[in-house]
Amino acid sequence: MRHAPAIRIAIETLMHHLANFLRNYRAALSGGAAIALSLVAASAVAAAAFNPPPIADAPTREHHVGKVIWTELVTPDVAAAKVFYGGLFGWTFQDYVAADTRYVLARQDSVPVAGFVQHRIRPGTKREPAWLSFIAVQDVDVTVRNAVSAGGKLLRPARTYAPRGRQAVLADPEGAVFAVMASFTDDPVDDLARPGAWIWSSLLAHDASVDAAFYQTLFGYDVFDQESEDGEDHVVLSTDDYARAGVNTLPADAVRRHPRWLGFIRVADAGAACARAVQLGGSVLVAPRVDRHGGQLAILADTAGAAFGVMEWSVPDSSELP
Amino acid sequence: MMNSRVTRVPLALAAAIAVGISMAGCVVGGGYYDTDAGYDTDVTVGYSPGYLEPYGYALGGWGGGYRLGPGRGGERRSPQGGHAYRSAPASRGTPSIPHGSRGGSQGGAGRPHR
Repeated sequence: MRHAPAIRIAIETLMHHLANFLRNYRAALSGGAAIALSLVAASAVAAAAFNPPPIADAPTREHHVGKVIWTELVTPDVAAAKVFYGGLFGWTFQDYVAADTRYVLARQDSVPVAGFVQHRIRPGTKREPAWLSFIAVQDVDVTVRNAVSAGGKLLRPARTYAPRGRQAVLADPEGAVFAVMASFTDDPVDDLARPGAWIWSSLLAHDASVDAAFYQTLFGYDVFDQESEDGEDHVVLSTDDYARAGVNTLPADAVRRHPRWLGFIRVADAGAACARAVQLGGSVLVAPRVDRHGGQLAILADTAGAAFGVMEWSVPDSSELP
Repeated sequence: MMNSRVTRVPLALAAAIAVGISMAGCVVGGGYYDTDAGYDTDVTVGYSPGYLEPYGYALGGWGGGYRLGPGRGGERRSPQGGHAYRSAPASRGTPSIPHGSRGGSQGGAGRPHR
């Protein structure tokens, strides 16, 4: 009975239209009507599948197309991930268990910062855990159509999760995987990330120029080509006059490397973060090195092998860093 | 009497739809297949983005001049031309990451809610 795609598609279509209606007209609805419609949507979708929590505790009333607004760790051991990331960044956690899903919402300074999803890796499968980046869009379905037209591939169809929003998972023409989301709680505000929060996203590509064009088609980025010392293409993708992500051509001699997104978490001291990560059972993939902004960054792997970056970002005369 | 009946009909209809959808949801569940690189082939019940990296690929190993991070803003641009993308005007310096609220109680002057 689980496989009833027609029914599921019908429900999801109905929920999609209902979600759009709520998003567009919620200001005009009376409180009672909005609550009633929300309950209908929530009860129906909740019955159909586990619903991940929203990415913010309250709407921000801001929208930033092209901004990486959420990250999710897909891992076979969320309990180990809690120990590792809690010990490294001071994150706290909230568990959600329903049916066959185990989901953990991570918070940094009480603000949602990431999600962990328990996902079995079958023995013998040549796969390892990974962080998935979600990029903000206005309309998930339009973005999916544009992505496919531009050479991307749809990996997870668009789906609405109440009360989070609508999302889909895609691969770019080189195979780097990312997700898009229209969040029901809008997008995080454009503040400087606090230590322990995601501060930067970098796409490693075989051809940064071609990949940047793909993402520009999807998100309308302004693309800034960077001067580089290594002869490789490095570009910055920008919206709202803020840098949102970098696209970097992998060195030509790079063997056994494949295109991927890589998120960076802000730390006060990259060297200390590396040492702590090793203490917690992780590993250092790229040792701390000075980058374009003058601070250090490093690339780590958690206890299950999922890669992520840490990056220093000093703010002179600020009281936020120890 | 008439008004009361008119009010009850749409309410009953909405309730019936909600119950119907909820019952249908109970039997369809979640689940999907995918065989692409980076995705496993398990049927996933419930929520999962399903993303796993291919095993055995390396990160790093690039030279000392390889820069992944953002700048502080206004960095020099490389000579333009020959790219697949539309380059931002040369007169514009490269922007930096968000470095503080642009004002307002809701955190800034980004694009308003859709």
